[in-house]
Amino acid sequence: MVRLVNALLTLVLAICATTPAEPAATPEILASRQLVERRGWSVGDVVRLSADPNGGESREFRLVGVFEPTPDPMKLAQKRYEVRLHLPDLLAMTRGANDPSRAEPIDALVVALKDPSGSASFARDVSTRFPGVAAEPSAPSLADAGPFVVLERFHLAISLVTVLGSTAFLLALMVMRAEERRETAGILRLLGLTRGRILRGVLVEGLLVAVAGALFGVLFAYVTQGIFNAFFQWHYDTALVFVRVTPGIALRCVAVAIPLGVLAGIVASWTLLRREIPALIGR
Amino acid sequence: MTSLALAWRGMTRQPARSALAVVGIAAVGALLFDMLLLSRGLVVSFGEILESSGYDIRVTPTAAIPGAGPPLENVSSILSDLERLPELDEIVAMRFGRGVARADGSGDVVLSLMGIGPGGAGSWSIVEGEPLGTVGEDGRLPIVINRSVAELVGLEPGDSLELAGYRRDTLAPPPKTFRVDGIAEFVFDRWNELTAVTSLAAYGETLGEPDHDQADLILAETRDGLATDEAVTAITRLRPELHAFSNEALLARLRQTDFSYFRQISFALTTITLFFAFLLVATLLTVSVNQRFAEIATLRALGFPRRRVVAGLLWESALLVGSGGLLALPAGWLLALRLDAILRAMPDIPERLHFFVFQPRALVEYAVLIGVTGVLAALYPVYLAARLPIARTLRNEVVG
Repeated sequence: MVRLVNALLTLVLAICATTPAEPAATPEILASRQLVERRGWSVGDVVRLSADPNGGESREFRLVGVFEPTPDPMKLAQKRYEVRLHLPDLLAMTRGANDPSRAEPIDALVVALKDPSGSASFARDVSTRFPGVAAEPSAPSLADAGPFVVLERFHLAISLVTVLGSTAFLLALMVMRAEERRETAGILRLLGLTRGRILRGVLVEGLLVAVAGALFGVLFAYVTQGIFNAFFQWHYDTALVFVRVTPGIALRCVAVAIPLGVLAGIVASWTLLRREIPALIGR
Repeated sequence: MTSLALAWRGMTRQPARSALAVVGIAAVGALLFDMLLLSRGLVVSFGEILESSGYDIRVTPTAAIPGAGPPLENVSSILSDLERLPELDEIVAMRFGRGVARADGSGDVVLSLMGIGPGGAGSWSIVEGEPLGTVGEDGRLPIVINRSVAELVGLEPGDSLELAGYRRDTLAPPPKTFRVDGIAEFVFDRWNELTAVTSLAAYGETLGEPDHDQADLILAETRDGLATDEAVTAITRLRPELHAFSNEALLARLRQTDFSYFRQISFALTTITLFFAFLLVATLLTVSVNQRFAEIATLRALGFPRRRVVAGLLWESALLVGSGGLLALPAGWLLALRLDAILRAMPDIPERLHFFVFQPRALVEYAVLIGVTGVLAALYPVYLAARLPIARTLRNEVVG
C-alpha cells in the first residue's frame, strides 16, 4: 500500500543536476509549490534530501509532482517548504539502521470512518482500548476554539462596533433629513394627511433607501473581495482565502441593514411628526 | 460672540443630531484606538515576556525560531567558547521535549518538559517551594512544575513524581523518580498547559540520551554596561556557524512574519475607520452648512468676517471630533479588553501574551489621526461657507 506522509521536516536540501536517473531505482517525492519555486525545481528533477542538518547521508529522490499546502492560518507567516515522501522512504532516511527499537515509528494514523458522525465516539473508544494512544476527530467540534472560530468571533465583534457607529451616523443623517422636511410635513398635515399616512410614506422611502444601500454594500464587498484576497495571498504566499462573500453572509448583512435603515428613518421622522402642526410650519 | 461660542450654539441648537454624531464618532474612534493598540500590541507583549526571562540573547543552529529547528550539536564546546567572551555574563543551555507523568486517577499525563543547564534561571518564577535543586541523596532527580501539573497530578513541593521521557521515534526509557522542588509560573505557558523543568542532566537521563551533547537553545545575558548588539557580534565572530540574535532582532522578525497578520488587519481597519470618521464628520458638517446658508449669509451681511465663520465651523468640527474622540478612549479600552479575551482563546498562545497593549505612543497617534481627520473633514464645508455669495443667498434663502 502506498502511504504518503505529510511531514514537515527540517531537511537539508541539496539539488543536483537534472540528469535523468533510473526511474525504478529513484524513490518519488512531491514538493510544495513554494519550495519548488524557491529552488527552481521542475517535475522530473532528481534532488537530494537529508535528515541531517549538515547534509550527511543524503539520498536521491525524483520530483514527480508539486502540491499546494493545505492553507493553515496558524502557519500563515511561515514559508511552506514541504516535501511528501512514501513512508518507507522517510523511515529509511530518518531512523538509525542499527537500532531495532526504531522499527516503523509513525507520528499519526489517519482513519476514514464509514460513518463520519461517529468520529467522537470512535476516538473515545480507541483512547480507551489503547492506553498511550491519543485519538481525536480531525474536524474540531463547534465548542473548540480553533483559530478560524476565534478569528470569526473577533471579526464579528468588530462588525458589531461598526454597525453601532453606522447606526449613529445614519440616525444623525435621518434627523437632519427630517428637519429639512419640517415645513413639508406641516403642509401635508394641514392638507389633511394623517401622521400614520406620512409615516407610512417615510417607511416606504426608508425601505427603498435601506434596500438600495444594503445591496450596494454587498455588491461592493463582492467586487472588492478579489482585491483583498489577491493582496493577502500575494503577501503571505498562500492559497488561504481571506475574504469570501457567501450567500449566508450577504443575507445576514441585508437582514441587519434593512431593518436598521427603516427603523432609523421612522425614529427620526417620528421625532418630527409628533409635533403639532403650528410647530411644524413655524407658527 | 466668539467663534467657539458660535460653534457651541450651532451644536446645542440641535442636540439630538449632535449627540448622535458624537456617539458615531465615539464608536468609530473606539475602533480606531483599538486598532492602534493592536498594531504593536503583540510585539510589545511578547517583548515583555522575553525580557522577563532575564536573558537578552538567544543562540540557535539555524535561523528557525528557537525550538522549531534542529538542535545544537557539541554544546559543551560551544558553551566553553562562549564563556570566554568578555561581553557575556551568564550563559545557559536548554532543551525542549515532552514527558509522561504517572497521575493517580487520571492515567498518564503528557507534559512539556524542559532541561536547563546548571545555574540557569529561565522564564519562570517560583510561587511555592524552592528553585530547581540538584540530585538528592535518595537519588531523586530535581524538577519544578507549574500549577496545572501540581493540581492534575496532586503534587506539593517535596513530593515524588514518576516521569518518563516521551519520544516518538523510539521506545520510551523507563520512568525516573523526581523530587518536586517547587511550583512555578512559566511565562510562555499556554492556558492550562502542563509544564515542568529539570536539570539538563536529568533531562538527558529521562529522554534516554544522557550522552547527547545537544541543546535546542542557548540563552545568554550581556554583561552590564555593554550593548546587546556588541555581544551578538562577538558571538557571531567567534562561532559564525551559529545564529545569535537579540530579543529586539527576534521581535523584529516576528513583526514581519508571525505577527504580521494582525498588523495588516489593524492597518486595514485603521484606514477604514479613519475614512469612516472623515465621511461622518464631513457629511454632517456639510449638511449642517447647507441648512444654515441663510444664517451664515445674514451673519456675513451684518459684518461677521469670513474668518470667524470659518473658525466657527472648524470649532464645530473640533467639538464634535473632540468630544466623540474623548468618549472613544474609555469605550475603546473596554472594547479592547473584550477583543483581547476573544483573541487569546486562539490555540497555542502563551497565557501572558496580549494582543491589545496600551502604550502612550498609541494615544498620541490616535490624537493626531483623529485631529487631522477632523480638520480634513471640515475643509469642504468651510469652503462652502467661505465662498458663499451673500446677496444671492439672502435673496434665495430669505426673500425667496
